[in-house]
Amino acid sequence: MRWRWLVRVVHRGVRAQFLTMSRARLLIVFNVLTPVVYATIAMYLYGADQPGKLLQVSVGAGLMGVWTSVLFGSGGAVQNKRWAGLLEPLISTPAPFWVILFSISLATSIVGMYAMIATVFWGAVFFGMPLAFPSPVLFLTATGVCVLSMGMMGMLLASTFVFMRNANALANTLDHPIWLLSGMLVPIATLPGWMQPLTWVLPTTWGAAAVHNSLDGGPVLWPMLGAIVLGAVYLTLALLALRRVEQLARRQATLALA
Amino acid sequence: MLRTLRLAGVGGILAYRALFNWTSPSLFVGSLLAAPVFQLLFFVYLGREIGVADDNFYVLGNVLLAATGACVTGGTMAIANERRYGTLGPLLLSPRSRVVMWGGRALPYIGNALLVMTFTLLCAAATVGLRMPMSGMPGLLLALTAASLSGTAFGMVIGSVGLRAKNTMVMANIAYTMLILLTGTIVSRDTLPAWMSAIGSVLPLTHATQAVRACSSGADLAVVLGHVGEELAVCLLYTLMAAALLKYFEWMSRKGASLDAI
Repeated sequence: MRWRWLVRVVHRGVRAQFLTMSRARLLIVFNVLTPVVYATIAMYLYGADQPGKLLQVSVGAGLMGVWTSVLFGSGGAVQNKRWAGLLEPLISTPAPFWVILFSISLATSIVGMYAMIATVFWGAVFFGMPLAFPSPVLFLTATGVCVLSMGMMGMLLASTFVFMRNANALANTLDHPIWLLSGMLVPIATLPGWMQPLTWVLPTTWGAAAVHNSLDGGPVLWPMLGAIVLGAVYLTLALLALRRVEQLARRQATLALA
Repeated sequence: MLRTLRLAGVGGILAYRALFNWTSPSLFVGSLLAAPVFQLLFFVYLGREIGVADDNFYVLGNVLLAATGACVTGGTMAIANERRYGTLGPLLLSPRSRVVMWGGRALPYIGNALLVMTFTLLCAAATVGLRMPMSGMPGLLLALTAASLSGTAFGMVIGSVGLRAKNTMVMANIAYTMLILLTGTIVSRDTLPAWMSAIGSVLPLTHATQAVRACSSGADLAVVLGHVGEELAVCLLYTLMAAALLKYFEWMSRKGASLDAI
């Protein structure tokens, strides 16, 4: 019974946040434009000699857009609610705050899918990229898992950024490192050896690998499993961080200032 | 004369401290120093994967792009944040020269951009290497200065829109993204379609990029100065555009009594 109730809260939360974010047209334009520009850059760099790379590039740039949406959407979630005066009402509702925050994080990653659709559309229309998905079902499943794992990672960002007044400073720096370390556009094999272990602990790495492998016939199941397991670890860490924040805020009566 | 200089200098610094969102150490380091270095590494490794150009191509391009974070967004904040923080009305009541008042605000951002570019250049040299002959250093310095000037002027144009419109920071970010594509910093302009290349020729950074690449390849100083001159011409174009837009938007706001209403 409680599970059904939680699922309902998440569903409603995701829907509300998704619709709210979708109405910020200029923000959507920016979220879509950046990955489209990166896809265009990569397509011009690869050139016509490697048409097989175009789909990988489009999808990779789309994943970058999903991450950007998560980073700034989830990272700024608590801050935005605080500025809107909604933080106190949300925390005092009967629904656990982590469920609300999780639904926000998940919504930001789903909003990021605008970028994925845009980059694939862009590649197909302007670069004549063939939409040759070996298995559309597998691709969509892998993308769904990747988006879910990013949402879980976003939840950790949202809960830890509460501690920082200047959380957007960290958000500004985390764009390119995660794009690079997750192998979204640049294959991980290109990175130096000392960077490789860093890539293994990111759910985004496994999620991106699942999505890319679904396009080139590589293994998909294990990367998807890796993304979910690591995502669950990040979610657990987020819950611990949130509990701490809530305790501190209630004890010191500094919720609006925490 | 002294009063004018004071207005430009002291006013510019005060406005910088009040309006630049990233003056705290964590924000400054995170947004202006660390982020450009990470972006540089991203493109260097992308370049290595694709193998179209060597590391030096991406290092030099990204060093110039690093300036845009500082001066394009800075120039935007220098104007648009007055409106955001509710101080635009009192500011425009001032009888002082608008050119000096707004122009003084650009100065700290030009310095900022030079600092960020130098830092990014040093980080690049330490991590992935930099190929620049000693004879190219004066030209490099001139090109970086010209890029800072034109980037800030470009930011002031976007900021001037902030007198009438919201979300100028998103506009600045969109403009920054377009600079990555169109200015030849990451993709050689020869590769781009003619219309994109044509747009790029009137954008900041394009000619400064050509100048730094000429410095790197050991070209004659006269060639470098030619590109720097073109970059300064672009800077002049955007400075005039910013001045005209600021005057026009102020007039529009007064006419419609809509300074903070939109």
